[in-house]
Amino acid sequence: MLAVDQVSRIFQGGKAGFKNVNLSLEKGEVVGVLGTSGCGKSTLLRVLSGLDENFEGEIKTEANDPKQAFGMMFQEPRLMPWLNVWENIVFGTGKKDKKQEAFELMKTVGLEGFENHYPKDLSGGMAQRAAIARSLLIRPEILLLDEPFSALDAFTKMQLQDLLLDIFEKHRTTTLLVTHDIDEALYLCDRVIIMRGQPGRIESQITVEAKRPRKRGDSYLAELKQDVLKELDFTKE
Amino acid sequence: MASQTEAAVRPTTNKEKSTTNPLKSNVVVGSLLPVTLIIIWELASRGGFVEPHLLPAPTTVVEEVITMAQEGELWGHIWITLYRVFTGFLLGTGAAILLGAATGYIKIVERILDPMLQALRAIPSLAWVPLFILWLGIGETSKITLVAVGVFFPVYLNLTSGIQGVDRKLIEVGRMYHFTALQQIKRIILPASLPSFLVGLRSGLSLGWMFVVAAELLGASEGLGYLMVFGQNTSAPELVIASILLFAIFGKITDEILKRIQTRTLKWQDNMENAS
Repeated sequence: MLAVDQVSRIFQGGKAGFKNVNLSLEKGEVVGVLGTSGCGKSTLLRVLSGLDENFEGEIKTEANDPKQAFGMMFQEPRLMPWLNVWENIVFGTGKKDKKQEAFELMKTVGLEGFENHYPKDLSGGMAQRAAIARSLLIRPEILLLDEPFSALDAFTKMQLQDLLLDIFEKHRTTTLLVTHDIDEALYLCDRVIIMRGQPGRIESQITVEAKRPRKRGDSYLAELKQDVLKELDFTKE
Repeated sequence: MASQTEAAVRPTTNKEKSTTNPLKSNVVVGSLLPVTLIIIWELASRGGFVEPHLLPAPTTVVEEVITMAQEGELWGHIWITLYRVFTGFLLGTGAAILLGAATGYIKIVERILDPMLQALRAIPSLAWVPLFILWLGIGETSKITLVAVGVFFPVYLNLTSGIQGVDRKLIEVGRMYHFTALQQIKRIILPASLPSFLVGLRSGLSLGWMFVVAAELLGASEGLGYLMVFGQNTSAPELVIASILLFAIFGKITDEILKRIQTRTLKWQDNMENAS
């Protein structure tokens, strides 16, 4: 589905970015990228999404139309403040050809009845729901999520994580999720990639065997969390 | 999926507000002081405390306006002044949109054009008058040009800074959808710079009114500014005050129109005015 071959993007004189990243995603797979701050995980998403074009290496997708390969959801909702919820959701699509689909998506993310609200009237969680719907409407081959819930409170975060699970179930979207929340990565992903260093490289990989939906307090996940923490250990170099 | 807590933030409608009718009470409170002052002024004039040939009573001023309106000569003056302001406003705004958009959007144009325009902006407006009269004659063209120059700069400056201030994060959303340059402008840059542009229009309009007074004071045979000069030369202060009054009324009306447009098109803005 997605093959990333020896991709590097280095700036600030070799001290930031990431180096020699190899990565491949199967169709429908949900892969998490965990890492300390400054290890280039957000840069990786910017490179994949095409927002940052100064990279070395090769990125291959199976998409027929490379323009539709990636959908991106940012840390902030980034809704257009002058458009209401409905107009924001259909923002990236042409004309009205996706009306029915947009309506379904709006129902899925729980924004029914809020079509005519402007972003200023939405809570952080609702704005992020609208952003989820917007990024899904173009039916990307691969959905890139850049710390999507890091600005939300714990309860809203959990609700939206469950919403993502529903969406994975329903649409089988191949997803690459960058996060610094270990619990979030273990709760949502099939596989977790751990990045370290400046510039960052892939340190290791952990496969989460448990089936979704998982229990948040699961002892298996707790063990995995220990492993991840060990991998992320700041004291070792 | 929408949770109870989130649904609770649904904003209340504005209808509850209208029962107390803040507008009405604002009007009453706001008129208290001017009404009192006008009454004092009227009493002072009638009582002979002020010289009527320097400061005529408000009723005299109003009478003067009504007489001129009835005789019909007032309408010509009002019309020509409005015509000068609007034509100048349209021309100045048009030029500002073209140059401001180019400067805001294309880096090289900014580097070539902006320093010169900033230098021209430093010239006091009235300094243009002799030159415009010399070049364009004392007819309508020189007056309209002067108004257009006044309108141009605030609109230009606000539009440029509005475009340059568009949030990079929103532009990136457009890039994720592979928008063309034209789509970026139409769907993100224009709406995002609209608030700043409208602020520019309003200050442009108020400068337009200022410049039309200047133009008419300095060489006109009709218009509200001319009426003022005429009133001065014939020692008719009621004429001067009437003209000032009319300028105030028309300035306020035109600004109010722009303000309404502003409020209506910017109801999405998250600011104090729109707080529910």
